[in-house]
Amino acid sequence: MDKLKPHDMSKPSSEQLVSLEQLMPLPAPYDRPGMDPGLEPVKDAWRETYCASLDGVVGNDRLKRPGSKAEEEEFIKKFLNGLDKLFSKETNGGFLTPFLLAFEYCARCGVCSEACHVFKASGEKEVYRPLFRSDTLRRLYKSYKKRGSLAARFTGGDMDINIEAILRLGELAYRCNLCRRCAQTCPLGLDNSVIARAIRALFSMEMGIAPTLLHERGTVLQLKTGSSTGMNRNAFLDNIEFIEEDIHERLGKKYKFFIDKKGADILLIHNAGEYLSWPDNPAAFAILFAEAGLDWTMSSELAGYDGVNYGIWYDDAQAKKIALAQRRAARELGVRRIVIGECGHAHRAAAVSSDRLAVGGDNIPRESCFPILRDIVKSGAIKFDPLRNNFPVTLHDPCNIVRSMGVVMPQRQVLKELCPQFREMAPHGVKNYCCGGGGGFAVMRSMNFSEWEMKVAARMKFKQILEVFQDKIKDPAAPKYICAPCSNCKGAFRDMLDYYQAASRFNVRYGGIAELMVNSMAMFDRPYFEWL
Amino acid sequence: MFLTVFMYTAITAFVVFSLRKAWQYARHPLANRWELYPVPGEPGARRRYGGSYYEEAGWWTRPRQIFRAGQYGEMLKEMLFMKSLFYSRGKFWILSYAMHLGIYLLGLFTLFLLAGAVTEISGMPLTVSDGAGSHLWATLVYLATAAAGFSGAFLTACGSASLLIYRITDGALRKYTTGVEYFNLFFILAAAVSGLAAWSMDPGFNNSREVVTSMLAIAPVRAGVPLTVHLLLFGALLIYIPWTKMSHYIGKYFAYHKVLWDNEPNLKGSALERIVERNLANRPRGGWSSPHTKSTGAGNHKV
Repeated sequence: MDKLKPHDMSKPSSEQLVSLEQLMPLPAPYDRPGMDPGLEPVKDAWRETYCASLDGVVGNDRLKRPGSKAEEEEFIKKFLNGLDKLFSKETNGGFLTPFLLAFEYCARCGVCSEACHVFKASGEKEVYRPLFRSDTLRRLYKSYKKRGSLAARFTGGDMDINIEAILRLGELAYRCNLCRRCAQTCPLGLDNSVIARAIRALFSMEMGIAPTLLHERGTVLQLKTGSSTGMNRNAFLDNIEFIEEDIHERLGKKYKFFIDKKGADILLIHNAGEYLSWPDNPAAFAILFAEAGLDWTMSSELAGYDGVNYGIWYDDAQAKKIALAQRRAARELGVRRIVIGECGHAHRAAAVSSDRLAVGGDNIPRESCFPILRDIVKSGAIKFDPLRNNFPVTLHDPCNIVRSMGVVMPQRQVLKELCPQFREMAPHGVKNYCCGGGGGFAVMRSMNFSEWEMKVAARMKFKQILEVFQDKIKDPAAPKYICAPCSNCKGAFRDMLDYYQAASRFNVRYGGIAELMVNSMAMFDRPYFEWL
Repeated sequence: MFLTVFMYTAITAFVVFSLRKAWQYARHPLANRWELYPVPGEPGARRRYGGSYYEEAGWWTRPRQIFRAGQYGEMLKEMLFMKSLFYSRGKFWILSYAMHLGIYLLGLFTLFLLAGAVTEISGMPLTVSDGAGSHLWATLVYLATAAAGFSGAFLTACGSASLLIYRITDGALRKYTTGVEYFNLFFILAAAVSGLAAWSMDPGFNNSREVVTSMLAIAPVRAGVPLTVHLLLFGALLIYIPWTKMSHYIGKYFAYHKVLWDNEPNLKGSALERIVERNLANRPRGGWSSPHTKSTGAGNHKV
């Protein structure tokens, strides 16, 4: 057994707490030597600048080592100030109840570990136990509050509060996908992801430290340009024009994207990453909504054309600003409802997380696209030919859509109707495993973090993919489709299939649900998927 | 008279401090939604597979349906059988459930003692020289008290002892268990074992019933050494529990009802919207330090 304890977080930087060997084995054909790619070793320069002493991985590129003793003391002081603020109604009001419950009542039974895909996929490395992270925070807090007294040691306040412990904790907050699977198993109903998220919030909101791609080139960029991709209004409109032309060329029929149409029934908001990386998805929505006769529009206003809200992963202030900007865009158009496209965290951010942040004119109903897509299929408004999707299809459940929002069946009803070879992964639905890209990981790209994401965080999902397609995996002639109705999940699958070369070797494809629907539309004489 | 006053103090402290704890949680600001599916208040098949009202297009135009029986049923399963732990870790469940079932039985035992004391005060003796009284009610109360008292103390002792041993011997648990957690289990074990010691001198729990009778009469309690030790430990445990994580009977309520199962939507014109409005109107006195938290638009971190 791994002998590592939370106290070891205070060990000197020269000691890396865990190395990534003996991970969870993968099924065939990845059980053969050489099939499982390696991990880029940590560089000395990274060790000097960042915190690589946790597991040899750098996830938070803004978490830099202080340059002097004075800076180190200031760093610790800021952290402790922030720690106090997590316990305050004034500064952590919206999360105080779940945070305090998780902090105070954990029985340390360890049940959560068995549900954690990161812990299991890592070969049960102690540092990745959900309990390890939350217990480190508890011990630091008690050590801080009771200052080395006997009572402190008796209640777990027996840690050295030093720079290394705090830096490692800052990194460890980014080894949890915030998928909340552990919370489903907790006998006391406590949620370790609240603690991981609180640590991230403390670093960001008190110390100004958050991964660049989540903050400066994420939420800040979105509030400045309109999109976390940096796409401004003009670029958005150019993209739309390009997509309209592309649809016409490919399918021989013109479809219009409605932009800023006042008084429309639906404001459709996609993750803006779709326009750049997966334009077939917003194109498919335009086709389906047009053929179904829906009254819809998109917004070209700030944040109105990008449904992402990275703030929900690390920073309450940013989350609120973005959520309200999106509501304002909808209010200005006078739409009846906001419909969220295929993006898991955008679903949760708009419908659930920000639900109690707006009233009156900003309190516009938000809903998932999946019931609408299901109703289009059920209504008969469009004629579908399921045989056009006659290849193995499985559904990946984005955690935010199932576990945190309870949208489970509509997407299944579509796939069961339109995909003759649909098969479920085990487990699925609200018991699913995260794709590995949750909680911001699909966006973060610093140093060797992406490799860690693929090697560890995405490993359980890759195992599920191999298992669900086991009968066809070795047949490269047979395309196998992972339906991942979420932009971040698609990002994770893109990287996963590339990292394990599963697309090139075994013809494993991925995409959304709207594309599958358009691919089976009887009115088109050619497939929508170019790889068919 | 010391024991009488002490036991009243202990019971009062347990109730008052438990309520205080619940009040502290109840006074928290309105929490952001953080529900986790399955939510048992969802009607029909949804509560089984984890669906929600979001599965319907135009969900806000449909009548809100809450399946209260599902919520209560799930809570009862959790309280009475510790369902989550049973499904998550069966081996640990056996030990923990033994202790919790023992505590529940001891709660029943207390009620039976009270019923017995009231019965005796009202003129019907529960016991005669050779055992239970001849009246059916007296016999039932006497036997139920004996059964609940012994089995409760025995299960509590076995459960707490085995949990203590498990925590000491299991490497994964040991590294996370703090001194206070060993102490808590030991405290419960000591109270249960002292109860068994008192029972060994008085298998019918007649002395315990006399304690309750004396307390009802606000008269001095007459108890031998084993029973006195047990009363002191039990009373101290009652005072101590609300200050510790053993007060999870409170925490669990808030964890489920105010966090994981709270999917009440903030609909326009609803009572919840008015609460949200009041909540948003409260300007926090303090704030986070990073500059971007103070701006209303884009901001930059300055490290």
